[in-house]
Amino acid sequence: MRSVRNTMKVARWEVKRNIKNKSYIIGLFLTPAIFLFFFMAPTIFGGSDDDSSTTTVFVQDQLGVYEMLEETVNQAEFPWDMQQTDIAESEIGSALADAENTAYVILDDRVAESGTVPVYTSEGVGQSFSGQLQALAGPLQALQLQQLGLSEEEMAAVTQGVNFQETTAEELAAGDGGTTETSEGGISGMMLERLVPGAFAGIIMLSIVFSGMAIFQSASQEKKDKIAEIILSSLTPNELMQGKIIGYFLLGLIQVAVFIAVVLPLAIWRLDIPVLEYLFVPELILLVGIAILGYLLFATIFVGIGATMADISTAGNFQGMVMMLPFLPFIFIGPVLSNPTGLMAQVGTYIPFTSPGVILLRLATMEEWPWIEIVIALAILVVSVWIFMKLAGKIFKTGILMYGKNATPGEIWKWIRA
Amino acid sequence: METMLAVEGLGKSFKNKEIISDITFDVRKGEIMAILGPNGAGKSTTIRNIMGIMYPDAGTITFQNNAAQEIPRHKIGYLPEERGLYKNVKVMDILLYLAELKDYPLDKARERALEYLKKFDLEGKEKVSVEELSKGMGQKVQFIASIIHEPELLILDEPFSGLDPVSQELFKKEIRLLAEKGTAILLSSHQMNLVEEMADRLFLIHRGQKVIYGTMDDVKTEYANFKCTIRGRNERAELERLPEVQRVEQEEDRSILYLSKDVQPSVWLKNLPDHLVIQELSIDRISLHEIFIDIATDKNMLKEAGEISA
Repeated sequence: MRSVRNTMKVARWEVKRNIKNKSYIIGLFLTPAIFLFFFMAPTIFGGSDDDSSTTTVFVQDQLGVYEMLEETVNQAEFPWDMQQTDIAESEIGSALADAENTAYVILDDRVAESGTVPVYTSEGVGQSFSGQLQALAGPLQALQLQQLGLSEEEMAAVTQGVNFQETTAEELAAGDGGTTETSEGGISGMMLERLVPGAFAGIIMLSIVFSGMAIFQSASQEKKDKIAEIILSSLTPNELMQGKIIGYFLLGLIQVAVFIAVVLPLAIWRLDIPVLEYLFVPELILLVGIAILGYLLFATIFVGIGATMADISTAGNFQGMVMMLPFLPFIFIGPVLSNPTGLMAQVGTYIPFTSPGVILLRLATMEEWPWIEIVIALAILVVSVWIFMKLAGKIFKTGILMYGKNATPGEIWKWIRA
Repeated sequence: METMLAVEGLGKSFKNKEIISDITFDVRKGEIMAILGPNGAGKSTTIRNIMGIMYPDAGTITFQNNAAQEIPRHKIGYLPEERGLYKNVKVMDILLYLAELKDYPLDKARERALEYLKKFDLEGKEKVSVEELSKGMGQKVQFIASIIHEPELLILDEPFSGLDPVSQELFKKEIRLLAEKGTAILLSSHQMNLVEEMADRLFLIHRGQKVIYGTMDDVKTEYANFKCTIRGRNERAELERLPEVQRVEQEEDRSILYLSKDVQPSVWLKNLPDHLVIQELSIDRISLHEIFIDIATDKNMLKEAGEISA
């Protein structure tokens, strides 16, 4: 009983001292702001009727795709006056200086190499322009894929994902002879029902993964400030560790709450779908549960690793690699989206580090849930969380008192075995 | 006097190297008990074992004759040797947090915090962020944190390190006051002169083992023999032949004669030979500081003294 009380004291303290911290508060509101900027900007400002002045778009085309792009633009009826140019990239700066509502688009090898298209805009180019630019992504991506040596069929499969036209998706599914079972790209009502709670759980997980990384900071700060021994004269290392995990979990939830308070009303207002109706479905409980398990896993790993390090800037290779673990699921995004029941998707489901992210991704895109896989994955996840809690406890106990020096993997191994 | 802490046969090794062995002492209510020793002697290891931050390989630690396993953390105040505070928080916030961890009522803690901040010349600093404090101020806040919950047993590991003389005096006064009010105090130090003035009993440790343990007065009469310092060129052999002289140390024209325990200084002085060259002569007791240096540098003065008294 006292142990629980001590844990909660630490948790309360971590919450309190972060909430009073300026950088936390700024981050709290900056995260949804950035999210809004990147994801809502095209939707909010993208309407072709709210910005009718014509933009002069010069295309410096080294790839011979000008006509293809012109066709795309014409179809989309963008207010663009498209022209070809062979101005050197270095001279664009001076050309733009006295131009108005003008943009330069450079199409060269960089499209294929890094998938980037340099775009230079002058004054007076509206925000809707960047949204319109996205329309060019499709044809250019096709070109990029062509250069990678994909067959027409493969290309069609991938590029179709960007093209949100239901009819084309159906045609494609028919043409592919059932090799891909999913309804790519096409967002139907059924899909949204899954997608909305999935996205919600994803936001929860991302937020708490980031706050989990703050745990790492906090544990290593404890060492840097040399306060650990004072704190440990009042409670046990386990109570301190658990308190930190719970405290940062609460901080993560606060972040989620702020995020939702800002984003949800906008989403309901702008998106033409009953977001709330889709959000509060029974499946949400499972999805949120998975997100929380994911948090616990990374939080315990981070709190343990944080305790082995005197300073974040001196992180060794080993610690650096562990820090990258939460980003592992990103490797699976491509394969899982293209085939949610494929081998990669299944492998990702069973690896504890990628499991929460991959399951959320799969559940959000699949209509029939693979219940057996979910149950096995959850079991693996729960057991992993338990094991990592034990390990982190051992590492934390010794590491937190080792001031001024980072532990080597060898030392960490010894503490675990002790 | 009630025993607040009893340590018996404490031993701890790292990597097969014995850090401390067979350490036995106790700390009683209302007394200041000092653990003394050079750097690396095992003082902090002993204290960390008491605090449950390390686990001893051998021996027992008992609090208030209570054989229960649990350390009564709420009754103990602890100032570790390696210490610091959270940086980006306010002074009052951290003091209240540490009091809360000890389950001490917060309103009382706030009152005591203000009172002590005033006492330590930190009045008005309660809303200042810890990172803005100077090192000395930080030390004072740490000290306040260790006593804010009115501990019955106060353990201070090198409380004076890094303090200026004024703050040292302040700490000394406060520690003495706490002892008078009945707090049992265990403090470690390598500053003999500070301890000599304030400790009731001391435990001298070297290389993890007990060297001396007893009350300050006993230790002084037992170990602090007379020594006679003579300035003037004299034959070392002749000085060594003088009665009651155990050992002679010579450095240029200065000779220090360590006298045996039972010497009567007045009689001994009268019997000094006439031809001795004496430009200056002084006779005084060996200070604890010298005993300490002696042990730390592995001379054998104390050993001889010990043998003689044995």
